[in-house]
Amino acid sequence: MGVEELIASLGENVLTTTLGKVIGWGRGNSVWPAQFGLACCAMEMIHSATASVDIARFGSEAMRASPRQSDLMIVAGRVSQKMAPVLRTIYDQMPEPKWVISMGACASTGGVFNNYALLQGVDKIVPVDVYVPGCPPRPEDLLNALMILQERIKAKGLIPLP
Amino acid sequence: MTDTMGVSVTRTGQQGAFGGELLTVNFGPQHPSTHGVLRLIVDLDGEQIKRIKPVIGYLHTGIEKQMEALRWQQGVVVTDRHDYLSPPINNLAYALAVERLMGVEVPPRAQVLRVIMSELTRLSSHLVWLGTSGIELGAMSMLMYCFRERDTILNMNEEISGYRMHTSYIRPGGVLADATPRFFDLLNDFIEKMPGHIDEYEDLLTMNPIFRSRTIGIGILTAADAKVLGATGPMLRGSGVNWDLRKNMPYSGYENYDFEVAVSNDRDCYGRYLCRIKEMREAVKILRQAVDRLPDGPVNVDDRKMLPPPREELETSMEAVIHHFKLFTEGYSVPAGDVYVAVESGRGENGCYIVSDGTHKPRRVKFRAASFVNLQALERMAMDHMVADMIAIIGTADTVLGDVDR
Amino acid sequence: MIADDLVIEKGTSAGDDWLTVPADRVREALSSLRAEGYTILTFLTCVDHLADASRAWPERYELVYQLRDIEAPRDLRVRAFVGGETPHIDSVHDLFPPANWDERETYDMFGIVFEGHPDLSRILMPDDWVGHPLRRDYPVGGEHVEFSEEHETWQTAPDRA
Repeated sequence: MGVEELIASLGENVLTTTLGKVIGWGRGNSVWPAQFGLACCAMEMIHSATASVDIARFGSEAMRASPRQSDLMIVAGRVSQKMAPVLRTIYDQMPEPKWVISMGACASTGGVFNNYALLQGVDKIVPVDVYVPGCPPRPEDLLNALMILQERIKAKGLIPLP
Repeated sequence: MTDTMGVSVTRTGQQGAFGGELLTVNFGPQHPSTHGVLRLIVDLDGEQIKRIKPVIGYLHTGIEKQMEALRWQQGVVVTDRHDYLSPPINNLAYALAVERLMGVEVPPRAQVLRVIMSELTRLSSHLVWLGTSGIELGAMSMLMYCFRERDTILNMNEEISGYRMHTSYIRPGGVLADATPRFFDLLNDFIEKMPGHIDEYEDLLTMNPIFRSRTIGIGILTAADAKVLGATGPMLRGSGVNWDLRKNMPYSGYENYDFEVAVSNDRDCYGRYLCRIKEMREAVKILRQAVDRLPDGPVNVDDRKMLPPPREELETSMEAVIHHFKLFTEGYSVPAGDVYVAVESGRGENGCYIVSDGTHKPRRVKFRAASFVNLQALERMAMDHMVADMIAIIGTADTVLGDVDR
Repeated sequence: MIADDLVIEKGTSAGDDWLTVPADRVREALSSLRAEGYTILTFLTCVDHLADASRAWPERYELVYQLRDIEAPRDLRVRAFVGGETPHIDSVHDLFPPANWDERETYDMFGIVFEGHPDLSRILMPDDWVGHPLRRDYPVGGEHVEFSEEHETWQTAPDRA
């Protein structure tokens, strides 16, 4: 008598789900980017944080200065030979779980510049989750990338990351 | 000894005022306030700066080498990207240099359109400076307000050229295409509203006691120092030197516009702030005059050896087909010689020195970057200030690392 | 006025005045020009004339100094030619402070050694980089585009095409 009543009364107030879904939902909706604006794409990344486009409504309000407090590295801009070891160090300093969005043509493939000075794609040194084409991509493109990443994070749930 | 980045760093071993050694601190290259990937190695005596060594090269893109491998008309796309806050102004320096060597002059309508794009770009570049300087000194709403206006300007860029930032609009021989009527609707609306917005920014900052105490007396650069160090732009005019390339060595019809040069005798960060605010107001004035005097006519020089013929002609004229073919396979050749053209960008003298050997690709393209030279003044401005003031000083120098490293 | 024996050649190119001075007397020439009023060095760079058929060049590397007299205002371009395995020339960083970084960049990109420079080290490339990228015989580099003859001619300077 007591248990059935309890379940009936709690039915409207308690949601049941899996741990994986909750963790995925929490991680996905609070992805904190590390500020890694390198060149022109950084301007569009700043635009995505301002009022008209507003990345904050997706949970990415806090663009952390320190990589130790962030989950996402948005590589916004071209990566030169001198900057590549710095980028890898910053990536290594980020705690797991971490993701990388390669924003713009230069970060994805080297862009307009096929020469000695640039890394032809940041995926040569860090694993990339989402590539955003464009030179520079619109702020809405970056939001699209973030939404794709969020779907992926929510789907991952509890599965340990590679 | 070398640090983790492989740069040799030595403990200075000098005695500081408090009896201890000087402390060497590394700022960047990944740092929120360095306006890009600038690395500073700073020797501190307590909080006081005793020595600054900027280490650059973290954004070196090989633009000058890349341009030697591209044809003259393809190079325009790459010139956008060195000073990435003012792409049309970079295009203008390159286009004027190529046109001087080719000996062509663009029609009047193109000149006025070039002035319109240059002034819009100057405004958008100063808006970025104002927004980021504000947020670094704690005025967080400045970023939101300035980038709201910048969005309007980028929408106009998109209307006229299809790109928000790297427009490649100004090309040797003229401009990409004529402006649409919607562009002028947006522009007239913008010209009406912008002075009100600049008043808003001044309301927030000019008499703000926190902003004033963080910028008045900080980063003094005397006129003699500024001239000798080769500083240009608001770094030079903020020290009282009346030198603006648009007035002293005019180009693209600037001699016909009525505007004042923003000069300040304060020599500090606050003086440079006032200079740039005034420059923004004068840019709106020039825009208004440009829209009023925009003449009708073609927007490209009528030289088939330089620019392709209109598509309709290809159906009837054999010469048009041959010109089209030559231009899109080999490209035009520029007569041998060299020329240097400088234009005034948001941060100073942005120049393009090209050397042609008579072929369809450049022998050498050198960009005289305003930020490269202005950054050398950093040590003189920041000496004996405190670490927190260094943030204000880097902001006032308004360096763009793409320009510095190319 | 700059002494006549210092001027090897002079002319005007597309409206810009220029003159050529001997490379071993570049400090003397620039000091006398500075005394004449050209107090500002706008930029300093180098041009590599390898396989350049447009005229007979005295040496492979041409150093270019763009001077400005801010009072007049007028511009002047000064050239000096250097060559050899390790080209070298005197530094002018004490005459014109902006030359400090310009000379480091020219050394980094072309390999010209500036004698008397306080800290001649690489400025744009990493410190352990081998080679001087802006020389004409240094390849453009980057990623090789396969199956494209266009790419071979497109990515190289004309003398290597």
